[in-house]
Amino acid sequence: MMLFRLLTLPYVRKHKLRTALTVAGVALGVIIFVAMRTANDSVLYGFQKTVDRITGKAQLQITSGDGGFPEEILERAQAVPEVEVAVPVIEANAGTGKQGQGNLFILAVDMTGDRSLRDYDLESGEEAVIDDPLVFLAQPDSIMITREYAAQNGITSGSKIALETMQGRKQFTVRGIMKPGGLAGAFGGNLAIMDIYAAQNVFGRGRTFDRIDLSLKPGVSIDQGRAAVERALGNGLDVETPASRGKQFESITKIFSIGATLNSLFALLIGLFIIYNTFAVAVAQRRPEIGVLRSLGATRRQVRGLLLIESVVLGIAGSAIGIVLGLAMARGMARYIGTYISDLYGLAQHTEEITADPFTLSMAFAAGLVTSVIAACIPAQKAAQVDPVSALRKGSHESFQESESRKRILGAFTFASIALIFWFWGGKSGFRLLTGYLSVVAAAVLLTPAFVRLLVRWMRPVLRLILPVEGALAADSLMQAPKRTSATVAALMLSISLVIGLGGVANASYASITDWMNAAINPDLFVGPSEQISERSFRFSASLGDEMRAMDFVEEVQSVRTTRVRFDSTLVMVVATDMESLSRRAHPKVIAGDARAMFRDAAAGKAVILADNLAMMHNLKLGDTVEIPSPAGILKLPVAGIILDYSDQQGALLMDRTLYIRNWGDDTVNVFRVYLKHGVAPEAGKRGILEKLGDRSRLFVMTNAQVRAYITKVIDQWFGLTYMQIFVAVLVAVLGIVNSLTVSITDRRRELGVLQAVGGLRRQVRQAIWMEAAGIGAVSILLGLALGAIILAYYLGVIRDEVAGIRLEYTYPFGIAALMIPFMMAVAWASALGPGESAVRASLVEALEYE
Amino acid sequence: MSRAWLGLILSAATGFAQDARQIMQQAQDRAKSASQRYEGTLQVLDGKSKITEKRWTYQRTGAAGDSKAVLRFTAPAEVKGVALLVVNHPDRASDQWMWTPSLQRERRIAFQDRSTRFFGTDFSFEDLEERDVSQFDYQLADEEQLGGAAVWKVISRPKKTKSSQYSHAHLWVDKQRFVIVKIESFKDARLIRRIVYRDFRQVQGIWTPFVVEVEDTNRKGRTMLKTDKLEYNLPLKEENFTLQALRRES
Amino acid sequence: MIHLNEVSKQFAGKKQVTALDNLSLHVPKGEMTSIVGPSGSGKSTLLNLIGGLDKPTSGTITLDGTRLDQVSDDDLTRVRRDKIGFIFQFFHLLPTLTCLQNVALPLHLRGWSQAKCDERARELLDLVRLEKRLTHLPDELSGGERQRVAIARALSVYPPVLLADEPTGNLDSATGAEILRLICDLHARLNATILVVTHDAAVARSCQRGIRLCDGRIVEDIRQ
Repeated sequence: MMLFRLLTLPYVRKHKLRTALTVAGVALGVIIFVAMRTANDSVLYGFQKTVDRITGKAQLQITSGDGGFPEEILERAQAVPEVEVAVPVIEANAGTGKQGQGNLFILAVDMTGDRSLRDYDLESGEEAVIDDPLVFLAQPDSIMITREYAAQNGITSGSKIALETMQGRKQFTVRGIMKPGGLAGAFGGNLAIMDIYAAQNVFGRGRTFDRIDLSLKPGVSIDQGRAAVERALGNGLDVETPASRGKQFESITKIFSIGATLNSLFALLIGLFIIYNTFAVAVAQRRPEIGVLRSLGATRRQVRGLLLIESVVLGIAGSAIGIVLGLAMARGMARYIGTYISDLYGLAQHTEEITADPFTLSMAFAAGLVTSVIAACIPAQKAAQVDPVSALRKGSHESFQESESRKRILGAFTFASIALIFWFWGGKSGFRLLTGYLSVVAAAVLLTPAFVRLLVRWMRPVLRLILPVEGALAADSLMQAPKRTSATVAALMLSISLVIGLGGVANASYASITDWMNAAINPDLFVGPSEQISERSFRFSASLGDEMRAMDFVEEVQSVRTTRVRFDSTLVMVVATDMESLSRRAHPKVIAGDARAMFRDAAAGKAVILADNLAMMHNLKLGDTVEIPSPAGILKLPVAGIILDYSDQQGALLMDRTLYIRNWGDDTVNVFRVYLKHGVAPEAGKRGILEKLGDRSRLFVMTNAQVRAYITKVIDQWFGLTYMQIFVAVLVAVLGIVNSLTVSITDRRRELGVLQAVGGLRRQVRQAIWMEAAGIGAVSILLGLALGAIILAYYLGVIRDEVAGIRLEYTYPFGIAALMIPFMMAVAWASALGPGESAVRASLVEALEYE
Repeated sequence: MSRAWLGLILSAATGFAQDARQIMQQAQDRAKSASQRYEGTLQVLDGKSKITEKRWTYQRTGAAGDSKAVLRFTAPAEVKGVALLVVNHPDRASDQWMWTPSLQRERRIAFQDRSTRFFGTDFSFEDLEERDVSQFDYQLADEEQLGGAAVWKVISRPKKTKSSQYSHAHLWVDKQRFVIVKIESFKDARLIRRIVYRDFRQVQGIWTPFVVEVEDTNRKGRTMLKTDKLEYNLPLKEENFTLQALRRES
Repeated sequence: MIHLNEVSKQFAGKKQVTALDNLSLHVPKGEMTSIVGPSGSGKSTLLNLIGGLDKPTSGTITLDGTRLDQVSDDDLTRVRRDKIGFIFQFFHLLPTLTCLQNVALPLHLRGWSQAKCDERARELLDLVRLEKRLTHLPDELSGGERQRVAIARALSVYPPVLLADEPTGNLDSATGAEILRLICDLHARLNATILVVTHDAAVARSCQRGIRLCDGRIVEDIRQ
């Protein structure tokens, strides 16, 4: 510790900027990891907590995916002897139309009697929360809001509030105010209670409920209760504890989680090189100091220990800063993810607070620390090997020994072979891809020095051609310190490859989804209850479709009901529509099966058609039988075909509407796909429909172009987070270049001094440094673009096998690559500005001093 | 007997009952009528003696647990047309439906909800049903004076415990008129609800309470029902006591 | 050739240090002068000021008619490039460059063509008798050879002024003598104005003029 105080602290004080850069290198990796994981956890926890709060005293819940089920189920559930109480619930998300107030989450329960008030703990002792229960029931515009919401909006009992409903904007009368806490705390108080039968009307739910909350007779265990209910209701419905219901969301957030973990690992890896670089240079610079120490009797262990302690301190600092900033960032990201999921899945959710999972934080801390220590290991070993005599001599410089290079290349080949073996053989996909991916990265990193030497040698003439003196100086500087250069290049290469990989995925996704939209999204108009196609709070009655069919400008209308059902513990989308009509109108890309036969069988209700991604993720093939839970029991149907379809990230399953109505007892409609008569302009059709139906029902008519724009927006949102991670990766890389150049300049202060002493102008010195940055940039870009090509293949593999089951075509993102070249060169140049200036501004006398 | 307050009509008669069962049978017999109709005024007082008032008309056909009743609110305007159909069965709990005209649909009052409060009054839904004396076991507990009249104190226990929220009840029966003047209902040792019958008048030979006062011990207020325009044995059509009729008449 | 008029140089720090105190000096063209004095007497500071590596706190310095205290940094660099050759104690050769490249460096910096640079560098290395070491890296040379490369580099454009800071300080006495002979030889052949900061009595003796500094002032100025 004494050594630390005497030697390290002064060094750190002298090299504040470099120390800061090193700490930042650790911190950025930790930030991504902490921010993404915490955001995911918070969203999940938010869902969980919301589920808890709006669950009341339920021990079990009956659901049918997210689609609801016929009312009759309630009486059957109530008749189960083990069940004490079974209460129906409908959930909806209703806009208030008020700026900044967001949506009100509507929990519709049975308000007959006062059970709901008691179960949800809404009563507040003597004061009645509902002015008059009979009036509340008798008037379907009755609503109960939280005290918080009332206070925020100056609402009192008897006030009117407007909500977006199936019947358009509708005034509701506040006839009760909940006491704070419990349920009222969910959704930040943006919650209202309605009578369930009124809600059925207002939100177009027909005679269905979303779920039934059960409590069991005293002495009946959860398992007994579940078994009894399942026996009574058949196994087409989900009977789960409220806690496990939240798990369904895990598969959704998992998608974010996988990407985040990969990317934060990447960031840490980049950080590793920055730290390595700093330590390697620090050791080189302090060689004389270490030599003195050694000659004064310090053991090798002490020297090594000193360096490792330094790395531990840096690691701790970086991790701590990373965790703090990561948590700060998590809030914004959690809101982003939450909104994304809410929008896409129509789930109301508020992630108000972030949940710092101790496990995540310790993992992040450990990762930061370990990265730092690993990065310092080799330099520490080098420091320990310093020979006191030679260290005291002036002017040493590093170079790779031949044996070291050979070992490196051998290692690279080993990793490359592993990657190859796993690519073609491999076993379980996740493991195979991860191993391969890591091996490729390891091989690339190990090969970097060799490539750097090669490329710089080739580049030297080019650089000299541009600026003879400066170019040569720059190239020589790069070659003179191969380790320093390689570490920087490795960091930059990794981040460029990350951009190429992720960018390639984005490109491929847009391309595939555009193809799909061209084939499948061809109706002229879409009629839905919301601007968001995924809205699930509102549904149309089937008769609306007939009214549109009767319009003289309408050629054909397809009624589409989409819902999600549990399928191997994930929620997959069921798309129920008129298959015969669909087969005539849409021409999806067929992956397996015969197009005519599959639609014929599906239209007859004898089979289903699967989206490619569903088949992929669940390993289903043509002719397999799928089991689809429905309120009427489990439907066992053969797979008649597999088509390319991106309706849902978790996968979609197409069936005929009659089959759905029969088994779900639900003929409501989420969206109508409308084909207009030839020659009718979409805008005219839209006006026509709105004129006839607009005032009667909540109705949004979107043109084909608008729907495409919406889908594109969803994908944009999806990639929004990815872009942010790319940004951080690039930031880490920029830090890497700045760090490397700062180090390089400090390292060569005397040399630069000599240069100026023998007549080098400032401009010339500056340009030499810029050229050096350009050299690093160019080499990194070359290597990064190449590594990116391989990384992309792995990403596509992960997406196909692990995340979304989507088969994306491999296309190298040349556009992005072309953009990266000037961008990275500019970044390299920009990061050279500061160090370059500091080099020419430095005192010549000091630079030439001997000490 | 009628544990229910609605159809509770007991005629006065002299006689001596040796055991509780006979007393209760007597009371039920004396109150027996083929049908009934009245207009009720319901006053709910909360803890701060705020009063909300509602009016309804009541019609019943059949008796002694095998009856049907429709209760239709007439005032205030917000609740006008809301109706409750109670179909009593001699051997089991009643079926109950509520009709809300603004939604144009009925809702079943599930068994599990029979113990909940009837629209914010001190009554529970269970208190709306009639049960035959045969569904209870009786035990004579005491003979006392209540409000200047001699009464029997009878303890009743439902035979099928699962169909009632109460474990037992204390009933006070007027020795002169064979009418129940007070009921205290318990769940185990805890008093849940107290009903007091007052202002007895003879209508068509049946002693009828014109004021019923109910107290739910879980809340502070109480509920008063005042009866008006009461008639017995009028010709009421059976088909008026169905869900279809509720729908039709709203 | 070199005129210093009441030149002072102070270094700011916790305590202000006066390195040169109101010093005036005139060195005529072609004179070879030694500067001696104890550590901290201001020898190196004087050399740095004359070489334009640093600027005086007060006073004027004129080199070959140019006021060094008044020109811009880049002009100072040009003065260095065209009129001054530096010889350092630790040679300060660029370790990645061959002898030829090291010597050619200042010529490149002036923008000379490759061929011209090479030709001149060869000529200079010839001059310091290193014609056989053209493609060697500095690491492969002995101390004396390295200093000869450094001298060749200092002579790149045959500057009128050569500044040497302890040129023999890092060499054994035999090699030091050899380097000294070289410098004297060059002085004779090129008629350059030479200032040598030294501790070495032999070096001081071989100069035409000897200046002794103490606490930033000239305490002795002898012409032999």
